[in-house]
Amino acid sequence: MRPLVFAARSLRREFRHAELATLAAALVLAVAALAAVATLASRVEHALLASAAELLGGDLALGASQPLPPEFAAEAQRLGLASHRLVEFPSVLFAGEHSKLADVRATAAPFPLRGRFSVRDAHGVEHAAQTPPSGTLYADHAVLVALGLGVGGSVQLGDRAFVIGGEIASAPDNGDPFRIAPRVVMNLADAEAAGLLGPGSRTRQRLLVAGDERAVAAFAAWAKPRLPAGGRITTLADAQQNLQGAFERGESFLRLAALLAALLSGVAVALAAQRFARRKTDEVALLRCLGAGRGEILAALLLELALLALPACLAGLALGLGLQELVLRLAGGLLPGAPPPLPWAPPLAAFAVGVAVLFGFALPPLLRLRDVAPLRVFRRDTGTRVRRFDVLYLLPVGVGALLVALGAGNARLALTLGAGFAGIGVVTFVLGLGLLRLVRVIAARLHGALRFGLANLARRRALSLLQAGALALSLTALAVLGVVGPSLLERWRADLPPDRPNWFLINLQPEQRAPLQARLHELGAGNVKMLPLAVGKLVAINGQAPKLAEADDRRGESAVNGEIRLSWSEALPPANRLLEGHWPALQPAQPELSVERGWARLFGLKPGDRVSLSVGEREIVATVTSLREVDWTSFHPNFFLMLDPASGAGLPHSYVASFHLAAAGDALAALSRDFPNVSLIDLNAVLDRVRDIVGRVTQAVTWVLGFSLLAGVLVLLAALAATADERRIEAALLRTLGALRRQLSVAVLAEFAALGLVAGAIAVAGAATLGSVLARQVFRLDGYAPPLLPLAAIVLGAALVVALAGWIGTLRIARAAPLAVLRRG
Amino acid sequence: MSERTETVLTATQVSKIVDGPDGRLTILDDVTLAVARGDSLAIVGASGSGKTTLLGLLAGLDRPSSGSITLAGACLDALDEEARARLRRRLVGFVFQSFHLLPALSAEENVMLPLELDGRADARERAGEALARVGLERRRHHYPHQLSGGEQQRVALARAFVHAPQILFADEPTGNLDQRTGAGIGDLLFALNREHATTLVLVTHDGALAARCAHRLTLRAGRIDGSGA
Ligand SMILES: Nc1ncnc2c1ncn2[C@@H]1O[C@H](COP(=O)(O)OP(=O)(O)O)[C@@H](O)[C@H]1O
Ligand SMILES: [Mg+2]
Repeated sequence: MRPLVFAARSLRREFRHAELATLAAALVLAVAALAAVATLASRVEHALLASAAELLGGDLALGASQPLPPEFAAEAQRLGLASHRLVEFPSVLFAGEHSKLADVRATAAPFPLRGRFSVRDAHGVEHAAQTPPSGTLYADHAVLVALGLGVGGSVQLGDRAFVIGGEIASAPDNGDPFRIAPRVVMNLADAEAAGLLGPGSRTRQRLLVAGDERAVAAFAAWAKPRLPAGGRITTLADAQQNLQGAFERGESFLRLAALLAALLSGVAVALAAQRFARRKTDEVALLRCLGAGRGEILAALLLELALLALPACLAGLALGLGLQELVLRLAGGLLPGAPPPLPWAPPLAAFAVGVAVLFGFALPPLLRLRDVAPLRVFRRDTGTRVRRFDVLYLLPVGVGALLVALGAGNARLALTLGAGFAGIGVVTFVLGLGLLRLVRVIAARLHGALRFGLANLARRRALSLLQAGALALSLTALAVLGVVGPSLLERWRADLPPDRPNWFLINLQPEQRAPLQARLHELGAGNVKMLPLAVGKLVAINGQAPKLAEADDRRGESAVNGEIRLSWSEALPPANRLLEGHWPALQPAQPELSVERGWARLFGLKPGDRVSLSVGEREIVATVTSLREVDWTSFHPNFFLMLDPASGAGLPHSYVASFHLAAAGDALAALSRDFPNVSLIDLNAVLDRVRDIVGRVTQAVTWVLGFSLLAGVLVLLAALAATADERRIEAALLRTLGALRRQLSVAVLAEFAALGLVAGAIAVAGAATLGSVLARQVFRLDGYAPPLLPLAAIVLGAALVVALAGWIGTLRIARAAPLAVLRRG
Repeated sequence: MSERTETVLTATQVSKIVDGPDGRLTILDDVTLAVARGDSLAIVGASGSGKTTLLGLLAGLDRPSSGSITLAGACLDALDEEARARLRRRLVGFVFQSFHLLPALSAEENVMLPLELDGRADARERAGEALARVGLERRRHHYPHQLSGGEQQRVALARAFVHAPQILFADEPTGNLDQRTGAGIGDLLFALNREHATTLVLVTHDGALAARCAHRLTLRAGRIDGSGA
């Protein structure tokens, strides 16, 4: 026996049987889902990172609140680096009745160092641009719309009039993809002449440098110790990290959805393989009888699988890559710059995972074939020893665990997810078992075809559970994203109090407090809250250099090295809750500190610990007296660290305020003119932007979840194929006894509609539970009721789709000739 | 019995030809027969002689290539498969060699099936009676896999007679059973047949069982063997 020839021949003969086709389809689906998601994620990430330099506008940025001494630019020049100065400040533009707050960048040529800067002229034609000539501004579309102007129009900025020289088409973004205010670019000399950069104005000075990588590194090393207080270096890595952080959560979500599809496909593979093995049993027994060795038989079987897997995985790869290309084209606007090159690692990994899924899930039943006794040829009932447990079944479980671990990329997350999956599995199992028992009870009370259909479902319990589980899992994921998520966001928005702060105001100087308060009162602003703000650095904890409780925490990294914002207040501010200890006293002997719970966890802080902070020239050692929980969704200014008022008052500080003002418009423009150093932030715009991003991510994820639903349906079809012979005989018997075709259809529809209902009910229960947990834990909504009507619609829809799929799958069976029964006998 | 013997089943010059891989194959060739009401006919013959094929044609499970069959006054040629199904469930009972109980249904539910397919309301009651008649009233709620072969065939007999069919078709009903159990099933089959005055068409290998029928017909390679009977 030559295994390869034999394998090729059997594959050709057997492909028309449902199980090999199912196996191939499952593989195609698993590889396609993984390849599409992993490749897309990697390309988007690559694009974001590659664009970091473009977004930053240079290879390195120095930032400070005062103009940087000239020796910085001189040093850059000495190192052979190009550099340019950029001053940023918020300011309001006026045109007749209209006004608009914008992020102004005043630059000197050459601009930009990195990235593309282009504007559209009055005819909408795009040109590459430089620093605008004197007397001219370039502005974002949003500014032009708000001011009711076109290119060529005239605006007031500071105490001068300017002409709009063009509409910004693309410009470096300073590494901030979540920029709020629209941009205006102007000439640096103009900004000085218009009195926009005078003392008291709220400017951010930047020096951007670009050039040879080593020279940039040398410059960074030189500049670091010489930076003025509050100064900051932003490297490419920093800019990348910002972007990456924003992207990572969405990405891990997508990867998990793809994994779910792969695992469900694995179930379909296992079902098909089992059936394949059962059918092969007789053939193997005969071959053994005729003298084939175990090794030869196994080799032939494995080769047959491999011959099937190779083209299936390749087809999956092609499908997946095609899909991700399509998504990339369709969502092109999401990505800056040209589409990044196709990476080779993710498709390769998807391919490997496809093979692992096949062998992991298909090997156990096939390896059993090795043990088939040749005697089976004579007596059918020998050698079908049923083993309840097989070590080999750990193989698919192991592959599954590996997939999750790879996808999560982090051991703890993997464990959590694994436990989550297992938990859902157990709950699905128990719930499904109960529901099937209910089906059985109901079936006993029904008649004829209906009873027969339902009884069928209850009898094939293991298979029904598997199908229900696979469908329920994918439906839950869909219901959470499609129904529960949006309803939560909606409810959360609706739940916001009508006077919730919608404006934020920062950089208010202490002496401006009273006049500003009076002004806000005059404007009719409500819910005004004002808190001091001091910016410092973490120096030590209990006299030691601060050390993170968890090593790879990015948030912690910035807590150790970045700025820390401090505040103080006589009483516990709203949206804060004391968990432990007491609120800092008014006049304590030693400085006292209240720490937010999450921040405390970063460093393993507890009451009694001493935290050393430096603010400006001052250093302060405060004792932690309480831990707090903060509702970050409250729209009030909130702080990780809050001192006692006496200690705080001694630190250099400004104020932040939040307030509610319904129709802001011109009144705020006037306010911003009178308090030029103060920055206003429109929270409505932030909310809209957040919603927009969440919406897009959700959409992308829903697409990927479509894969897992497909995989769920595939499991259904695999199970259907596994029972096809049995169903054919039963249908023929019923026909013989005089059942009409309609009655057979009713039986099948009842069976699968019940299956869909069971799966749908589990999914709705799962989605509703998840929704309630999210509502309490994340959104802090009391008494959130999941939208039962849309969820019920999902159950019914699922039942309908599953019933239809089952019915179509058995159409051929219902047409079975009654004579088949006699022939079987 | 009435003086005039009324025929309930006739086959006239029935042939069955199938297309095999090596050309056409005649399985049944020019078979003509008639069975009177309440009569019993045994069809015997070697394996492969066409017995099952003939039974299937007589019961309306398949169509002959030529010739015609009349069942309880209805000409089967004129009826489509749905109409024949309707006819079967009212007039015909079946017993098979390998029992063919539905594994999803309990013994009682299996027996109820023909009545329910016909939309009868008293199905459960009548099924209970039928099971009691075959001595299985205490196994009503058991499933096929919980019953022995002989017990399964008794359930099948209950199912075959529960709707009092005019005519019963049995294809080697004892073929899968040991001799003693087979004999018991044979006894039960003929007892029920007498009680219900059912017309019986029985395919069997078992000479003793065939001998209990009023008439015998031997098939040889698809033709009626005239030397038998
Ligand atoms: N659909 C078919 N195609 C080809 N040959 C068939 C078909 N059905 C039955 N036969 C052949 O017809 C002959 C009679 O079969 P059957 O009626 O089952 O015989 P019996 O029941 O007497 O053993 C056999 O040789 C069988 O192989
Ligand atoms: Mg036969």
